[in-house]
Amino acid sequence: MAAPTTLRRELLPLARILGGISHLKPRSLTVCSGHRKCSVTRSHLPLTPSTSFHTAVFLSSTPSAITVTEEPDTLFQKVLVSVKGHDSTVLDSYEFFATMAAKELGITIGKVFEPPKDIERMTLLKSVHIFKKHRVQYEMRTHYRCIELSHITGSTAKVYLEYIQRNLPEGVAMEVKKTAMEKVPAHILKPLWEDVPTEDKPSQ
Amino acid sequence: MASRTSKTLLSLRRLNIPAFGLNNAVSRVTYATALSMNSSSGKKGAPERSGREFGSRKPRREEGEPRTEKMLLDQDWTAVYPAATPFRAGSVPLPVRMGYPMKGGVPPEKKGNLELIKIPNFLHLTPAAIKKHCEALKPFCTEWPSALDTDAKCDEHFPIKVECTDYVSSGLSVRNPSARIVQLKVKLSILNLDDHARKKMLKLVGERYCKDTDVLTITTDSCPLRQQNYDYAQYLLTVLYHESWKTEAWEAEKTVADMEEYSWEGSPSQKNIMDMLLRMKVAGEGEGEEVQEQLLARSEVQEYKDSVTRLKNEGDNESSVLQYKEAVKKVFNL
Repeated sequence: MAAPTTLRRELLPLARILGGISHLKPRSLTVCSGHRKCSVTRSHLPLTPSTSFHTAVFLSSTPSAITVTEEPDTLFQKVLVSVKGHDSTVLDSYEFFATMAAKELGITIGKVFEPPKDIERMTLLKSVHIFKKHRVQYEMRTHYRCIELSHITGSTAKVYLEYIQRNLPEGVAMEVKKTAMEKVPAHILKPLWEDVPTEDKPSQ
Repeated sequence: MASRTSKTLLSLRRLNIPAFGLNNAVSRVTYATALSMNSSSGKKGAPERSGREFGSRKPRREEGEPRTEKMLLDQDWTAVYPAATPFRAGSVPLPVRMGYPMKGGVPPEKKGNLELIKIPNFLHLTPAAIKKHCEALKPFCTEWPSALDTDAKCDEHFPIKVECTDYVSSGLSVRNPSARIVQLKVKLSILNLDDHARKKMLKLVGERYCKDTDVLTITTDSCPLRQQNYDYAQYLLTVLYHESWKTEAWEAEKTVADMEEYSWEGSPSQKNIMDMLLRMKVAGEGEGEEVQEQLLARSEVQEYKDSVTRLKNEGDNESSVLQYKEAVKKVFNL
């Protein structure tokens, strides 16, 4: 019915290769300080969606290769997922799905709220040629739903967002606003003029 | 009114349900149906329009009972709807009705109901299915470090916040050009800046600084890719920081109008008050700088100085004007 979304819903996402194949050196999960987390780079997970709906098997038996890399995981202080669509009941169901998925994956949900809807109305001429006094009115309603997640790591965010986005219903759009937190970079800790006092100042 | 020829999806015409051979009740309702009336007529191409001879049509296959009759109560629903599929009336064992009830009627049943097919269904995302999916996804998730449970701790250790937005929508293209925008937020109190550097930084940055929250926001969207914009934002932060520590030769020409805050020393207010006090005082005391210093050292003059500075910096609120009044009264012994 609707135009096919570019992210089609498939069973069990993670069919994409997240660069895990190249990191084939076995690296253990090294000791992480309280603040840094090693990222878990995912490799290709061979999960085949069952096309016939009579079988219940959708988990393949081959074990997935999860590789662990040394680079620290990004930390997201806040991830705001906002969906908008024309039907509020569809958004209700989607909200139930997203919140349940977050709970199952152990993600802290900040708040779930519904911004007020937007109605765009237009008044057009009813007839092709004349009859200015006879018009027809249309309106387009856009409903919104926002889910705020807090304190989520980069790997978990990738997993959750891909799962959510693959199961986005047709006719619903999504915006994800991610706030990542980082340390102050090393080159901003001290001004570099202190170390080179004799450096010529550039001309104005 | 046997309507056996329609095979298009949206056929708005009177249905005679007996044409299906399913239901004997004749209901004259005008509804769009998705089921083709006669599957056999779809198999023929051109000749079907010219005439329908009973002999040329293939016999219609008998439709068996729907699958719902055979479903057990404790079946695995995730096997029935493992992926997102349109609604199938024969596979969903629920007595769902959808549509507008006509006069004296009820919403139409699920069989051949286009409204149920149009709306996106979540039959593949029942709680059992979600649990199964999440069980499979769990090994790919990492835990949040337990030491960073409060926002204050996060801000202390990770003061720089980088905000970016992703967009998902259906359309002709996957990409959204607004996704390249990167916003970098940092509190200036975190950075190692001295007084002059801070003032220079504020002048360089201008509108991007918010005084109430002490947050500098750098928004970059000039590059086509998000990674490029992020690198550019980091570069801007570095450059601002290092440039604000530099003191250029022309900065010595800073005038009173450029100053961010009002300072009382060397201002007309100080001159005025000194003149007034000197004239009021008995001329017996020696003139010159010693008198000035003595006067300055007085507590009333200090209070006056504080009140004037406060008035100029903060503006006219009740408390600052009152403070000024008290200070003036004390200085002139009124």
